[in-house]
Amino acid sequence: MTGGATNDLSRFNQVFFEESAEHLAEMERILLALDPGAPQEDDLHAIFRAAHSIKGSAAIFGFTDMTIVTHDLESLLDRVRNHEIPLNGEMIDAFLEAGDAIAMQLAGHRDGADVDSAVIERVCKKLGALVSATVDAGCAPQSFPTRFEPVTAAGPGSPAAYGIDFSPAEDTFRRGVRLENLFCELADLGELQVSAAIGFDAPFNELDPENCHTSWHLTLESTAGEAELRDIFEFVAEENELRIAALSNAGAEGEHPAGGATTVCVPMDTHPAVPERTASVRNDAPAVAPGRRTAESQEGSTIRVGVTKVDQLINQVGELVITQSMLSQIAAGLDPLLYEGIHRGLMQLERNTRDLQESIMSIRLVPISLVFSRFPRLVRDLSAKLGKLVELRTFGETTELDKGLIEKIADPLTHLLRNCLDHAIELPQVRTAAGKDATGTITMRAAQVGGRIVIDVADDGAGLNRGKILKKALERGGAVDEAMADEDVWRLIFEPGFSTADAVTDISGRGVGMDVVLKNVHAMGGRIQVASEEGKGCKFTISLPLTLAILDGLSVAVGEERFIIPINSIVESLQPLAGDIKTVGGRRVVHVRGEYLPLLPIYELFNLETSVKRPEEGTLVLVDAEGEKCALFVDELLGEHQVVIKSLEDNYRKVEGTAGATILGDGRVALILDVGGLLQAGKRLKETGV
Amino acid sequence: MQMEQTTSGRGAEGGTREFLTFFLGGEEYGMDILKVQEIRGYDAVTRIANAPDFLKGVINLRGVIVPIVDMRIKFRLGEVVYDEFTVVIIMNVLGRVVGMVVDAVSDVVELAPEQIKPAPELGSTLDSRYITGLGTQNGQMLILIDIEKLLSSSEMQLMDDAA
Repeated sequence: MTGGATNDLSRFNQVFFEESAEHLAEMERILLALDPGAPQEDDLHAIFRAAHSIKGSAAIFGFTDMTIVTHDLESLLDRVRNHEIPLNGEMIDAFLEAGDAIAMQLAGHRDGADVDSAVIERVCKKLGALVSATVDAGCAPQSFPTRFEPVTAAGPGSPAAYGIDFSPAEDTFRRGVRLENLFCELADLGELQVSAAIGFDAPFNELDPENCHTSWHLTLESTAGEAELRDIFEFVAEENELRIAALSNAGAEGEHPAGGATTVCVPMDTHPAVPERTASVRNDAPAVAPGRRTAESQEGSTIRVGVTKVDQLINQVGELVITQSMLSQIAAGLDPLLYEGIHRGLMQLERNTRDLQESIMSIRLVPISLVFSRFPRLVRDLSAKLGKLVELRTFGETTELDKGLIEKIADPLTHLLRNCLDHAIELPQVRTAAGKDATGTITMRAAQVGGRIVIDVADDGAGLNRGKILKKALERGGAVDEAMADEDVWRLIFEPGFSTADAVTDISGRGVGMDVVLKNVHAMGGRIQVASEEGKGCKFTISLPLTLAILDGLSVAVGEERFIIPINSIVESLQPLAGDIKTVGGRRVVHVRGEYLPLLPIYELFNLETSVKRPEEGTLVLVDAEGEKCALFVDELLGEHQVVIKSLEDNYRKVEGTAGATILGDGRVALILDVGGLLQAGKRLKETGV
Repeated sequence: MQMEQTTSGRGAEGGTREFLTFFLGGEEYGMDILKVQEIRGYDAVTRIANAPDFLKGVINLRGVIVPIVDMRIKFRLGEVVYDEFTVVIIMNVLGRVVGMVVDAVSDVVELAPEQIKPAPELGSTLDSRYITGLGTQNGQMLILIDIEKLLSSSEMQLMDDAA
């Protein structure tokens, strides 16, 4: 069970624990408010979604025992949700019990608390009984007790557990003993847990780094005999340095050997005392002790803070920066000799505020790789389970987005990916028959496009099946007809409970998922688009607003106003010669190294007054938007800044050609140019010409 | 008009409501005090391209981008000058923060329902849809405007059509 904590996903475990705990709490809240006689449709969907989300995440993190319970929970919920069986009080009880069981498993993974497998077995049986009691003989429910094995550790041929205390002699290293090899050999025999204790009581400066001052406590679960273990230590440890004991309670305790995290300090000069001391610690410390310790350390590592509090901090720091630059401007008028102290203090202040601002900003922005890196594991496990060959490619992992968005985008992306794997990518033989590479490809791509973050999930699978979707929609009594446009047909897949899958698996096919995806994306103020071509594949495009993102921008002046041009769309900037400016049908173009690029004067697009009306007097910024290039004509370049994107839409509305606004160092507002939008606006602009 | 009162303000039991009064041109107006967030001086604004002329632009209000409208331009009232007496009323309307330029802010008055008379149909630039009534206080007439309705109206173009 603790195996999950050692793989590279462990850093996300905390997120999983928090999310699952939230889902459980939500489920319980709705269940408790539910009226068995007349349950609300939405509530049932919400409970189902919560269970489904826990199952999905648990599968990613490899907590199979949790998927089993949630799957059983889902099976019953699904029947209730589809009105195949009426809800009754007994079911609500069972659901609550299942919730408790999952919470217990969660605590088991998180804190190492005891998991009572009998309770879990009972819950699963109960859920199974409720399903089968109401199902006609035709649909056989999945059998529960057999799939339960991962949790019950004690079975025939189950490994014995050993506690090994190994305190090598001080000259061990000088004898050329390679301890890592030793541990590797032990690990080959079974599940090995190692904890080390440093036993050096003397002052640090007396420590001889060539001496071994470490003792190890190992817990091994293995089918190998004690003699085999001793063989491994044969040339390494003297008799008094090694103590191997079989742990009698290992089977009953499941995979939580009591001594897992117990460390024992052994001073080097008291070798003979080691076994006794270890034994006494072991007896005194109940299984709870290590669990409590890990729980404490995990709680200390993160603090969950409301997003609004962070936003408030960001705004306040922004104000502080503005105040600081105001002070600097005032101080610039003071004699540096007379007011040396003030100048020094202000310089210090400037550094401090900048550091503070950077730290605060970094709280909110996280790279999307945090989400993407969860997926390779999911793809590997699922494709193996489904017998498919799938390659996952991810691009744009460094795209930074808001922490709040990252947390919320994880669920929808997981659902999309699971759907891709389960439905879209065909089996290798089918793919080969269709003339495609046997290995399917799923591409996830994140990028900042204009004022939005765009995340694509694309596959080269079978594509959406228009006929099947329409047929299913008709069965469900939806208002559909053959003549519907493709986009409208694709939209049907976002209906709650919609699924064209032939079989319900524990991966997908229950028809939950797409409605969750849509709901979550909408909740983020995002949009989702589907593009599909039969036989070629399907692409989901999620576009999220930039509620808060940092942008590297070039600030430019046009008349009195300042604008920010996103650096990532800038190709170069130049001061043109009068001869390079030509007109084509009354529209100005600029000749740059053999290319003629359209000229977009910002002052015209934004109706501004400026004295710089001739391109050769100002500066051209060559920008590239979605493959189209053009030259923005501005008065002059001011400098490069990292700016915080603020929404204009919060209090006003969308302004054409802008991706938002930002606040400059002097407190003024500057608009951020949306190059793509400007290109469109520029095409409509009637050139007046000079 | 009675309906308007109960929907746009509280204090239906007491009957009296408080209004912030301000000048636009020579006329004195009143708006529900509960919609007022703060009052500040007029500062430089950042212009917005292709916006109607009465939308002066946006300002930075402690990290929040706030649009500023000038009602004198919108209603063609008086001379549009910006001096040290020009003030901006920052309002909280429909979950949005909007600033309104006025010539001066004068007072906060309490009006009982019987002091508020329905406004006659005038066909002025200020559509009577946005006037909740005419109040009388010490012989002075107050034009009471329903700021929420006004700012959310399509002619102000303050919000996206979808909103």
